[in-house]
Amino acid sequence: MNILRGWSRHKYIYLMLLPVIVYYVVFLYLPMYGLQIAFKDFSPAKGVWGSPWVGFDHFVSFYDSYYFWRLIRNTVLISFYELIFGFPAPILLALLLNEIRVRIFRNVVQSITYLPHFISIVVVSGMMIDFLSSDGMINQLTGLLGLPSVSFLISPEWFRTIYVSSGIWQGVGWGSIIFLAAISGIDPSLYEAAKSDGAGRFRQIWHITLPGILPTIMIMLILRFGTLMAGGSMEKILLLYNSTTYETADVISTFVYRRGLLQMDYGFSAAIGLFNNVMNFLLLVAANRFSRKINNTSLW
Amino acid sequence: MKYGYQKTAAVLAALTAMTVALSACAGGNGNNSSAAPSPQQSGASETPADGKIVSSPLALTDYVQSGTLASGMKSFNDMAAYQETEKITGIHIDFRHPTVGQEKNQFNLLMSSGQYPDIIEWGWNDYPGGGVGAMNAGIIIPLNDYIDKYAPNLSKLLTDNPDIRKEISTDDGRIYAFPFLRSDPYLRTYQGLAIRQDWLDTLGLQVPTTIDEWHTVLQAFKTKDPNQNGKADEIPLLIAKDTLLNFSNVFLNAWGTTGRFNLQDGKVVFGPIQPAYKEFLQTMHDWYAEGLIDRDYAATDGKQKDAKWTGDVLGASELAVGGGIGKYTTAMAAKNPKFNLAGVPYPTLNKGDKPVLGQREPIFNSTGAAITKDNKHVIETVKWLDFKYGEVGHMLFNFGIEGKSYEMKDGYPTYTDEVMKNPDGLAFAAAIGKYAVPFGGPFVQDKRYQEQNASLPQQKAALNTWMAADNDGLLPPLTFTNEESARLAAIMTDVNTYRDEMFDKFVMGAEPLDNFDKFVKTIQGMGIQEALDIEQAAYDRYLKR
Amino acid sequence: MKPRIGFGERVFDGSNTVLMLALVVVTLYPFLYVLFASFSDPADLLQHRGLLLAPTGFSLESYKLVFDNPMISIGYLNTILYVIVGTALNLTLTSFAAYALSRKGVRFVGPIMFAIVFTMFFSGGLIPTYLNMKQLGLLDTRWAMILPSAISTWNLLVMRTSFASIPAALEESARIDGANDFRILLRIFIPVSLPIMAVMTLFYGVGHWNAYMDALIYLRDRNLYPLQLVLQEILITNSTDSMMSSVADVDKGLLQETIKYATIIVATVPVLLLYPFLQRYFVKGVMLGSIKE
Repeated sequence: MNILRGWSRHKYIYLMLLPVIVYYVVFLYLPMYGLQIAFKDFSPAKGVWGSPWVGFDHFVSFYDSYYFWRLIRNTVLISFYELIFGFPAPILLALLLNEIRVRIFRNVVQSITYLPHFISIVVVSGMMIDFLSSDGMINQLTGLLGLPSVSFLISPEWFRTIYVSSGIWQGVGWGSIIFLAAISGIDPSLYEAAKSDGAGRFRQIWHITLPGILPTIMIMLILRFGTLMAGGSMEKILLLYNSTTYETADVISTFVYRRGLLQMDYGFSAAIGLFNNVMNFLLLVAANRFSRKINNTSLW
Repeated sequence: MKYGYQKTAAVLAALTAMTVALSACAGGNGNNSSAAPSPQQSGASETPADGKIVSSPLALTDYVQSGTLASGMKSFNDMAAYQETEKITGIHIDFRHPTVGQEKNQFNLLMSSGQYPDIIEWGWNDYPGGGVGAMNAGIIIPLNDYIDKYAPNLSKLLTDNPDIRKEISTDDGRIYAFPFLRSDPYLRTYQGLAIRQDWLDTLGLQVPTTIDEWHTVLQAFKTKDPNQNGKADEIPLLIAKDTLLNFSNVFLNAWGTTGRFNLQDGKVVFGPIQPAYKEFLQTMHDWYAEGLIDRDYAATDGKQKDAKWTGDVLGASELAVGGGIGKYTTAMAAKNPKFNLAGVPYPTLNKGDKPVLGQREPIFNSTGAAITKDNKHVIETVKWLDFKYGEVGHMLFNFGIEGKSYEMKDGYPTYTDEVMKNPDGLAFAAAIGKYAVPFGGPFVQDKRYQEQNASLPQQKAALNTWMAADNDGLLPPLTFTNEESARLAAIMTDVNTYRDEMFDKFVMGAEPLDNFDKFVKTIQGMGIQEALDIEQAAYDRYLKR
Repeated sequence: MKPRIGFGERVFDGSNTVLMLALVVVTLYPFLYVLFASFSDPADLLQHRGLLLAPTGFSLESYKLVFDNPMISIGYLNTILYVIVGTALNLTLTSFAAYALSRKGVRFVGPIMFAIVFTMFFSGGLIPTYLNMKQLGLLDTRWAMILPSAISTWNLLVMRTSFASIPAALEESARIDGANDFRILLRIFIPVSLPIMAVMTLFYGVGHWNAYMDALIYLRDRNLYPLQLVLQEILITNSTDSMMSSVADVDKGLLQETIKYATIIVATVPVLLLYPFLQRYFVKGVMLGSIKE
């Protein structure tokens, strides 16, 4: 009875869900049988079903690699630094943008900060290499201040700094859009009330703006936890690293890429991809559970 | 100019086949059931009297990388050489070209789709297990019998050149493709060391041929201001680890070793764990410490290399004949008329020694046209492919149409001005692309193409200089089983990562060379012996072909 | 009726302005660099070190080469079609999903959400996905550019979060007036969520504009190519050698460097023009928040 009433009361909602579910099943779940190649010696001619099983061979082979632990460390660290420095940056920018009084100035700043998002990673990396080389712009500038020239690009200790800061540089504006939209959804009367209580700008930010966008922040943070094992963008690392910086720059995805070059080893790449995704997914589930517990925000 | 990148980029060609699969799919299954004549039947039909291969029109599908299509061309059907071929043979080809870009993925999709075009032209080493693997998987068919019976031109070539037959055969003697052949040594070498000849002249120095002479020259470059701008901004030498270790062997040659597998007294060895490699590293280290090698060599990309060469600060590096010597000489002609690049022989330890290990492509690098299991007209296809190995086909595909893209001058096919100095400003490759594909395809590449493509005197001289190496220590292209290549990939990824990392550390001094023994031990610990055994076994099989 | 602005406020405004100006300079520069570089003479550009404050030399050669390609206009038209149809479908399905999955009392929301998030991490990979499309008969159709990307899970999560924060009272009162869910979504949720809808339009639109992977895999017919794929071809053709050519064969000019930049400009400028248009909605939304002034 109860169930039936629920169905009929929400019939339009189920009608809305129908195309969505069809989409996910047809386009995303149907091909998932392909995951099995992580456990197979995949040969294109034999296809996914026809290739022979090899069990956990690919995983073992990865684990046996001389570089296994270094790869794990580099992968986690680069994501971790991205999280610590890269995640708060767009939120901060959104808050500051919101505090600009002159509307035209605000619009201009806002429009400009998202520009780097559209420049391809190849070009950004190319410019980084230009600017950071030992006779590049940065060293020319620091040279004027009497500082010794630094070979940024061949110093392992600089790699993460370069990678993370250029990432922020490129993504902070675009990333702030979502938070700005959330801010603009906050009820203005709250600010009125705070103002009449004599609250200054910092207190308004702290007590109204931030709590107002907290659900958005939490969702973004949970999603971010689901990328901790991804180890940044493979394409960008490939463009920025070289064998002198492998020590800090070589991550799982770049290693698999190099190995894939020697042979198109779909099974191996799929296995490592699966390993990565399982780790990421577990992290996401954990973050989600944690978030649900402390402030009732949840992905599902 | 990363070696690996080029290799990836070098893989072009799989999208079109999907169209085939698609159209076969969309067009119903009529294709399969329409009682296509079996090869034997169709082969029995006599060759038509007019010299054509078929008496009634026949269309085949050919999956091939288009590379740089000249503007205005949509496929190879618009190319004069193929139009002419169709007129002569009566066979029409529906070309399927992959989109330039993710060819490897597209090739994989084609292979997995289970339906194939009639012909696939591809670098078969990209298939796991190579052309043998594709044959064993039943995708492409062995061609030996067909070639013997229906391909007189290629048969003759193989009979006259047993070494070529050996190169294009698998370990068990099968032939899987109509090969792209770089028979002439002139076509197989294109990279080596180049130096600023005008700097040498300014300083009154000779072209260096030994490691000691190099040292002297590099020191002079550093201290004596050869670019005469009053600043000590010269970078004497730029090295490129990627190409040097994997492919060109510059400097390494002096110690008779390489950065990868090579032959020593008939046995396969791994260069970086030989004692000679330590001496090589020591020299590089000393030069680096003296400031003779570009401090940023490890992070120098193609664009920066361009900037250094055209900026009049670089004295020497390894260069390709086209994208290096040709490019910089042309670019600098207006800016610095004195700019003069010369190819330098591979340096040796003792004066007068013959260089032993240079850069040389194999005659056949697995690129060729294979016939798939879905082809219903194998005999006609074989005849059609064989046409390109005959005199008419050879000229068509290397030089295009006589009177339009080339003219015979004293028996030498000379590209016309339309090709060499295109009125629309097209580069050579784009201009000749409307007529022919001399860069590659299932035919024998003609030396006279390269002589005109690399036509600057500096380029010709450099090619002749670099070719002089002995090259007996280079491994021929080997074939591996699936298991062997999987093991090799697993071992060599670690080994090469370590080798590259340690190269920089040794050269830059972050790791003292006293630790070379530890370096060797680590590589041994990674399983290099197993890799050596695999290579040796494959080489033994090669010898028995 | 402006409240008095105190000293602390002024310091805050002042430093904020300075900070923002610095940010503008730093972020704007790479874009200017690309713009200047695209008009530069290639040989001069290579020699240039440090900041580029104007084109070095002046040359339209690279733009000429980019526009000479007849595929450019085909690509532009296709892309515009994919952006419009694709974004419309995206917004419809995403708002359906976000609405349905943010309502209280609907069954199976938890498992459905879990299943949806699951797809962000696990997929069948290139080949099975391709074979699936083949079986659906979508290869070489315009649908291949629209259907596989009909919903972005990430965007769905964002929109759902936004919908979830809309007060239930609004929904209830409409329901009492006899409105069904479609009506509530269209008449209440979307109007009060204009900023987020604008953001979604931007994200989806830019996504379609920049998409080329799907085209690369699913489209063989060059008449269906989107702009990005055409541009990729131009870029790659100019920067690498094809399989059968060795390094020796193709003389790559210095021009490829500036072609790269010109291509980026050609592919990016239209998207930049889209943003100010959408920004109207941000401003509207933000204005609601700034009535306080």
